[in-house]
Order: sequence, then structure tokens, then C-alpha cells
Amino acid sequence: MAQAGNAAAFERLYRLHNRRVYSLCLRMVGNTAEAEDLTQEAFLQLFRKIATFRGESAFSTWLHRLAVNVVLMRLRKKSATESSLDEMTEPDEESGGPRRDFGMADLRLSGSIDRVNLQRAVDHLPPGYKAVFVLHDVQGYEHNEIAEIMDCSIGNSKSQLHKARMRLRELLHESLRDRAREDRKAAGNAGGED
Amino acid sequence: MTTVACRDFLDRFDSSDSPRNGSPADLSVQAHLRHCPSCRSFVEDLGKIRAAGAQLAASDPEPPARIWFALRAELEKEGLIRDTPSEVPSKSWLAELFSGKFSVLPRPVLAGGYLAALLAIAFGLSGPINSRINRQRWLDGTQSSTEPLSAQLMSAEKASFSSWPASETPVTASLHQNLEIVDNYISLCENSVREDPENELAREYLYEAYQQKADLLAQLNDR
Repeated sequence: MAQAGNAAAFERLYRLHNRRVYSLCLRMVGNTAEAEDLTQEAFLQLFRKIATFRGESAFSTWLHRLAVNVVLMRLRKKSATESSLDEMTEPDEESGGPRRDFGMADLRLSGSIDRVNLQRAVDHLPPGYKAVFVLHDVQGYEHNEIAEIMDCSIGNSKSQLHKARMRLRELLHESLRDRAREDRKAAGNAGGED
Repeated sequence: MTTVACRDFLDRFDSSDSPRNGSPADLSVQAHLRHCPSCRSFVEDLGKIRAAGAQLAASDPEPPARIWFALRAELEKEGLIRDTPSEVPSKSWLAELFSGKFSVLPRPVLAGGYLAALLAIAFGLSGPINSRINRQRWLDGTQSSTEPLSAQLMSAEKASFSSWPASETPVTASLHQNLEIVDNYISLCENSVREDPENELAREYLYEAYQQKADLLAQLNDR
């Protein structure tokens, strides 16, 4: 029905999938206004191309593929540089690629991770890592589905996810260190005032 | 059992390979983890990140209604959809509501309630819409669609009054009094909406006032 341009069918499709698409966009860009715009753009593309949907993959996978592409295109435009998926998922040393200081006991993330802190760290991930992390760990997609959505191999999806988690761990440690430094500074200031 | 050294650990361990709530599949990695607290803490951290990621989904906000309105306007502009009222899905639950719970009510009251609910949808769903929508067209559309509905609601109410018995019990008298209060409230709200059609709060109040009126009409009919 939607393929024939039926408005009610369009609306039903939208209502069925809008939450997941909006969530993906929001997690990817970390900004509600932009997430709304991207959600609209993803569905617009969906409805423009719906006549070409042949059912070779699950509808939600197809839609997510469109949505991820819309988001990645926007992020590419924003960064104003042409970069491949590899470049977006393989940051160089300067931009803080995964390092191998993985096992330091004093860097252990204590307790459970606060949602706000995690989202803040996710915001700092390179787009490719971010997409795989959000799709797998947040939205619960399997690697074979992510491979379809991201147009990559299953192995690539697994590797990106592992790297994304390691990068997140580093980012969370950095924020812990920053907070500890600020606490020490504040304590020092309070001591100086006494 | 041979275990791997810490320096080789990262090459062997892949957090994406381990089951969602389990330990790493590689036995040599498992053996290493049993004896190495620092690598164990690394794996535990990644597990915490994964768990926290799953919790993020629970806090996903509902996308605002304006996305659909803007999208629909764009689709219409591009001629991608055939014109069908956006209330279509809502109409079905409304129809169900009025044919179920209120099916015992006479037609005028049902019509009144139905109209009030349609008004509620018209007001409830209309919010600030992004720039892609022609704002003036939307305002004109809102006014032109609510005015006839309001008039129809009034005539449905008159028809309901004519079907009620002349003698009034204290309860129906009180309901009539409440109806008058709600009517006054409705005209106040209508004025506010007319003065400032974009005021969401005014629309919300008007929506609630119509709902109250529909409830009162239903209660009066029960008597």
C-alpha cells in the first residue's frame, strides 16, 4: 500500500519505525533538533525509494541502512572532508586511536557506568565506531544485520565494535581522571582559603 | 592449559565475539583472565560498557509529533502520497471507543463526543512545526477545520437536550450547572486560541474543556 503512495500506509510505517530511527539519529548526532531533521530526511528517502524495495532484506534493516547513510553523510559534510568508512572508524594517533594501555588496575571503571557519561563518551566516538556501537549495543542488532546496514563484512562489524568499546573505555577513563583532577583542585582551593 | 601473555592478550581477545552475557569463548584467554587481575578488569570494563549501552535504549525519548507533520507536508509537496486525513489511525480507535464504551448513548450525544474528540485531535496534534511547513496554511487549516466542528458540536448538544425528559433530578440539575461552567470555560479558551493560535497551552486547555463537555453530555444522557 505504501508503495502505491497510500498516506495511511505511510503513516503506519512511520509510526512503527520512527522511534528506533530517531533514537539512532539522536545517539549519532547527540542533538535533538538535528536528530529530528535526520529522522525526517531518512523517512523522506525511504518513501522516495519505497517502490524499489524488493524485500531482499528485512524492511527495518533496509530502513536503518538508509538512516545510517543519511547520518554518515551529514557527519561527513560537517567535517567538510571526504573520508571513507575506514578513515571514520580508524582514527589516527593524533585523534586518539585505541591504545594498548588496557589493563591498568587503577583505571578500572568503578560501579556501573552512568548513562549521561556514556552518552558523552559516545558523542566523542568517530562516526563509524559510533554507528556500530549504537546498532549493536544500544539497539541490539546482530553483526550480520549490521554488516548489511553498514555495507561491510561481519568481521569488520565485530572489529569496529570491539574498537568502539575500547575507545569508549579510554574516554570514560579520561573523564574519570578529569573529574579526579578537578576534585583535587577544588580541595586544594578550599584548603588554601582556610 | 597454556595461557597467553598480557602483551598478546589484546590480539586474542575480541569483546565482540563473547556472548552478550558470557565470558570470552577462547579458552586460553579465559585461563589468562583467571590469573591476571589487570586484564580481568579490562574485560569487566568492556562488559560494563556493553551493559550500559543496552540501558541507553531504555531511555530513548519518543520522537516529537512535528516530525511526522513536516514529513507529511514534504511528501504531499512532492506528490508522493495520495491525500488521506492524518487522523485516519486515530479515527479507528475513536470509532472503537465510541462504538464500545459509549455505544449505549443516543446518536446526538455520540456525535457530540465524537466531534469533541476530533477537535481534541485537531488541537492536540498541532504543535510548532518546523520551517518546512507553510505555517500560514497550517493556521488557516486549523481554524477552518475547527469552526465547523465546533458548530456541529453545538447542534448535537441541542439535539441531546431535546431528547431529555422535562423533569430534572438534583443530579441532572447539577450536571446542567457544570455544563454551563464548562461552556463558559470553552468560550474563554476559544478566545485565547483565536488570539494566539500558536499557543500550545491554550490549545491544550481547549482540548481538555471539550473533553469535559463530552464527559458531561455522556453523564447527562445516563440520567
